Amino acid sequence: MTFRNFIVRVGLAASLAVSAASHAYLYAHGYQHISRIGIGFLLQASVSFALAVLILVGGPGWLRWVAAAVAGGSLVAFVMSRTSGLFGFTERGWDPSPYAASSVAAEVVTVVLWAGVLIRWRTSRRGNAPRLLPQAARAQVHGAPLGRDR
Amino acid sequence: MTRDPNTMSRRQLIRHTAWFGAAVGFTVVGGEVISHVAGASVPRPAVGRPTLRFAQVSDSHLGFTGAPNPDVTGTFQHAIDQINNLGYTPDFVIHTGDLTHLATPDQFDHAKQMMSGLRTPHVFTVPGEHDSVDDAGQKYRNAFGAGSRGDGWYSFDTAGVHVIALVNTLNLHKLGHLGTEQLEFVQKDVAGLSSDTPIIVFSHIPLFAMYPDWGWGTDDAAQALGYLRRFASVTCLNGHVHQLFSKTEGNVTFYSGTTTAYPLPHPGEGPAPKPVTLPAGKLRDALGIREVSYTTGQNALALKERTLQ
Repeated sequence: MTFRNFIVRVGLAASLAVSAASHAYLYAHGYQHISRIGIGFLLQASVSFALAVLILVGGPGWLRWVAAAVAGGSLVAFVMSRTSGLFGFTERGWDPSPYAASSVAAEVVTVVLWAGVLIRWRTSRRGNAPRLLPQAARAQVHGAPLGRDR
Repeated sequence: MTRDPNTMSRRQLIRHTAWFGAAVGFTVVGGEVISHVAGASVPRPAVGRPTLRFAQVSDSHLGFTGAPNPDVTGTFQHAIDQINNLGYTPDFVIHTGDLTHLATPDQFDHAKQMMSGLRTPHVFTVPGEHDSVDDAGQKYRNAFGAGSRGDGWYSFDTAGVHVIALVNTLNLHKLGHLGTEQLEFVQKDVAGLSSDTPIIVFSHIPLFAMYPDWGWGTDDAAQALGYLRRFASVTCLNGHVHQLFSKTEGNVTFYSGTTTAYPLPHPGEGPAPKPVTLPAGKLRDALGIREVSYTTGQNALALKERTLQ
């Protein structure tokens, strides 16, 4: 495991934990009573907590894809709640403060870290591919792009 | 035999399955912990029931005839029966306006008779614009205005909660309107309250800008809400839009209620908010009542939406 990989794991775990904590706090302080939105907050928080723990202890690469999907989905839901509405639920601006801003920031960090590692992996794969034997190249394509194929 | 490098080995499959199982397990455990903490953060009263429980019913439109609902009396009666069979006696029932469709004396009598069948100590109402189509709400006030002030607004305290019922359907231009006199009433009404007093506000037209193009908002609501900004918990319940909708702005949470008469389109779907005719058998899924409960020490009210079954 490289130091960079370790930093990415810690960064992903931390950003997921912050997002989960914000959603869990809001769920416990009123959002649980909002139809459909409440269960969404509970699911977001519990899935993000689980991903944070598993990524931190060195889970496989597909966990990072799930983390990016959860964070990206949360960002889309946030934008919808400020524009078209989400299941008839809308909010304005950065309310409730500071939880809206902290969760959005954490989710952006999650997506950026995932995208950064993905871009770096693809760049390095293009650079290395011609020098690899065909069988080795196929094995690398099959392997998890964002972590070890354990 | 050599293994195809594009396939997963049995050992890899077991490992990934284990990680997946761990993810599901942690998610379930995390969800349980958060639910438990959320429940524990709410102080329960010693008697094991909320401090205040009431029901909201809205937009009965008695007198309406048309394909969207050929029997508004029947569906309103069904809503009343459903409230009477909640399994407990609500502390009060609020009708958030448009009791009648055309504000005739007969329709008001009919509404009053039907609502006298509600098994609850108190029935409160606010007028909708259909209840004041030709007389600025005079017939409404004759039927339901006892104890109110001004053009029909009032407030009361129950179970430590301060309740304000507002009238924003008179002096309509496009949006709902409260007016100077009513705004002064709100300002004075809450002046002596401590900031930790939970506030509930009833109105017919939303106090938030749900869809101003269709008149679904109140032009001077910001001033009224400004007087309520210092309170920890403000909950605004309205009717008018015939559909469930919720929104939070700082300390204020808005909940639009559904109807017992007929659905309206979602905001912006179509040129105007005309009654929608649903396929046979689907109408009652769009109609309903709302249960609301408040527990001392809890910031938010708990809402339960029930369709007419």
